[in-house]
Amino acid sequence: MESTIKSPQENEDHTWRVRLLKIWRRNGPGYLFLLPWLIGFFGLTLGPAIASFYLSFTNYDLLEPARWTGLSNYKFAFFNDARLHKSLSVTFTYVMWSVPLRLSVALALAMVLDRSVRGVSFYRATFYLPSLLGASVAVSVLWRQIFGSEGLVNYLLLLTTGITGPSWVTHPDYALSTLIVLAVWQFGSPMIIFLAGLRQIPQDLYEASSMDGAGSLRQFYRITLPLLAPVIFFNLVLQTIEAFKTFTQAFIVSGGTGGPVDSTMFYSLYMYLEAFANFRMGYASALAWILMVIIGIFTSIAFLTSKYWVYYEDERR
Amino acid sequence: MKTTRKSFPWGQFTRHALLILASLLMIYPLLWMMSSAFKLDSQIFSSMGLLPTEFNLDNFIDGWSALRVDFAVFYINSFVIAFLSVLGNLMACSLTAYAFTRLEFRFKKFWFALMLGTLMLPYHVTLVPQYILFSQLGWVNTILPLVVPKFLAVDAFFIFLMVQFFRGIPREIDEAATLDGCGPWRIYWRIMLPLSTPILATAAIFSFIWSYDDFLGPLIYLNDMQGWTVPLALRAFVDASGGESLYGELFAMSTLSLVPVFIVFLAFQNLIIRGVALGALKR
Repeated sequence: MESTIKSPQENEDHTWRVRLLKIWRRNGPGYLFLLPWLIGFFGLTLGPAIASFYLSFTNYDLLEPARWTGLSNYKFAFFNDARLHKSLSVTFTYVMWSVPLRLSVALALAMVLDRSVRGVSFYRATFYLPSLLGASVAVSVLWRQIFGSEGLVNYLLLLTTGITGPSWVTHPDYALSTLIVLAVWQFGSPMIIFLAGLRQIPQDLYEASSMDGAGSLRQFYRITLPLLAPVIFFNLVLQTIEAFKTFTQAFIVSGGTGGPVDSTMFYSLYMYLEAFANFRMGYASALAWILMVIIGIFTSIAFLTSKYWVYYEDERR
Repeated sequence: MKTTRKSFPWGQFTRHALLILASLLMIYPLLWMMSSAFKLDSQIFSSMGLLPTEFNLDNFIDGWSALRVDFAVFYINSFVIAFLSVLGNLMACSLTAYAFTRLEFRFKKFWFALMLGTLMLPYHVTLVPQYILFSQLGWVNTILPLVVPKFLAVDAFFIFLMVQFFRGIPREIDEAATLDGCGPWRIYWRIMLPLSTPILATAAIFSFIWSYDDFLGPLIYLNDMQGWTVPLALRAFVDASGGESLYGELFAMSTLSLVPVFIVFLAFQNLIIRGVALGALKR
């Protein structure tokens, strides 16, 4: 348009520029909007993840440069680290007890609330409150006192039965149970999700089945459970992952030691201590990747088996 | 619909009685802590009642300045970090979500899949290298490691939440705006954000609560007591109180620390519960 005659060189230059402009028009705004996330993704997620994978094969204490040690971190973790094995068993025990208990209580109360019309929002809010506050240090502090040797539980025990209870939080046999109780106490958020799921179940299914003479137990097994299965599945996966990540509660209740005798040495707490108390950054990175694999296995087991027990309404056979 | 008889609804009655009992059991520990905050130490464990005989504010006054630094400083630190976290999450995550739902660019699907992938990544994997990075930048003992990631949309959960919401906004609206000559920025700022207040509010609430409650982050990055947040101060209080003589003060400060979250809960109950139902659980 501007010039009448162009040298081939100039022409090529021109089309090249036009093409660049076109690429920019098509992609520029999108990438500009995406820029903060891209920086964060490469700088704070992907980069660190790769670095952590590399570090897991080294010894690194922040002061001297990382020293490549091959598989020795993993070998130590698998075969020699008794404390890690203890920590794994503590964490698995916690997950195996706290997740099913929490979900059962959540489901039971969601079903009760689903039936009663009046005051649902009040009860829902009250039951949810502990979930909301439960992650705070304040509640963990409270727990430590409630289950302490002169705590509320022992006071009630003495009052009702005359038994002098032990100091639950500092007794190796009971300390973990107090944390499981704390987790079950926070059943509020899965309960809310169950409530939302129960609302989706068509009421006429219940009416029709009760006309056919089905009792409420039968209705629970034949209607509620199968139709709620996707929601239960969703809760199960998420709660399991969250339980593996538990840190604050164990840290505060045990005073940051994972004690007594490592009985509350949760995996996350052990990794924290290795990294930031003992400055074994390489070993801590190996621990992070082992956890990643464990969580991955649990998630994929849940996903792979889901087709045998999860019923999605839209895939009627 | 289930009972059509006119007789006294015993079923409803017992159900409500049980529910009220269960509610009381659930919040009893919290109420007990609250009332203990007003009691003398000698009274705390000698009664399980909830009503203190007198409202004694000594625990609050003594607890407030029991550590070398006043709790006022801890609250300011906590609020500054929480406020900046909310701001960062809202800005960065909404920009990202807008790009993923409304703009066209190459490799969009690829980036979106990666973003969803980061939802599954446990924080453990990035914890150590992030610490090394921030300490080499000289950011340890500042609030930057706790705040800057929020401005880079590292919390993919909020992106996910906003993407879901933006998809529900009819495309005709921004197509009309494009015809009127609006660029993507104007559409984002003048149309998408104002239409998304419910989800922005939900994201703001959860991001406030999580940031205010966060313990691990401050524990790692904030060493100097002047820079501590409220949870760190409480933890130091536990260690300091060792014996039982400071229970009252500890309870007073713990109770106080729950107040901001509790106020947010009272004010935005419905948004929070809807947010949880959307999958905003995490805990």
